[in-house]
Amino acid sequence: MVNDILLGAAAVFVVLVIVVLYRAVRGPTMQDRVLAVNVIGTNTVVILALLSAALDVPYFLDIALVYALLNFLMAVAISKFTVERGGVM
Amino acid sequence: MEYVAYALVIFVILTGIATALLRDVLAAIIVFAAYSLGMALLYTLLLAPDVGLTEAVIGAGVTTILLLLTIVKTVRPGGERTFERLDPRAALACGALAVVFGLTLPDLPAVGDPNSPILSYDAVTGHYLTQSYAETGVENTVTAVLAAYRGFDTFGEATVVFAAGVAVLVVLRREVFT
Repeated sequence: MVNDILLGAAAVFVVLVIVVLYRAVRGPTMQDRVLAVNVIGTNTVVILALLSAALDVPYFLDIALVYALLNFLMAVAISKFTVERGGVM
Repeated sequence: MEYVAYALVIFVILTGIATALLRDVLAAIIVFAAYSLGMALLYTLLLAPDVGLTEAVIGAGVTTILLLLTIVKTVRPGGERTFERLDPRAALACGALAVVFGLTLPDLPAVGDPNSPILSYDAVTGHYLTQSYAETGVENTVTAVLAAYRGFDTFGEATVVFAAGVAVLVVLRREVFT
């Protein structure tokens, strides 16, 4: 029962990710896109945590942690790139 | 479980199409990072967390930064259009190819099917599962196959990557990557 609710919540989050994808594709500015991808990444972390609880596989949480770090790195890299064309790190 | 997977497949297909059609290369790179995140989530859902982890690190992390470094010298396209204009013949060819590949899907065994070739030929699969630790001393069977049983193959791949790196340095007339 609880597992079904958690899985259902994960499915809803994936649908939300698809909705946010509209902003990432449509833009219109690059900041919109960076923020949208950041939201998608954060949702990915949430989905992974929900799946970890629902399927009872604790090591999914490790992957969620790596995602959270990567997500931050990606947002910083793209933001820096848009500000000073060329500087990534 | 299935609904999560279906929604993820839709997400991955949408991001793939958007990556191909976006006019602005920077936007395409950003959407491609989202594609990698979805793909990694799909791998994790199929209980291949190590593949999902690799996809996230390589696809979303390293590839994004490498692509950004690649487009430094390019200029943004002007104009108001968000998407590239579609060539009908190319779209038709791509669609036909996708249909042909899709037709092979029903012939694949289901996930965890005991009658699938990989599980029914126990002489091969069972040998690696039971003997790999005794023969190589590596605890993870996948790692044992990758690094020990087909070690020369992996060594060859590493050589190819190294040669490519050296070639890039020669072309750029540099001594180090900066």
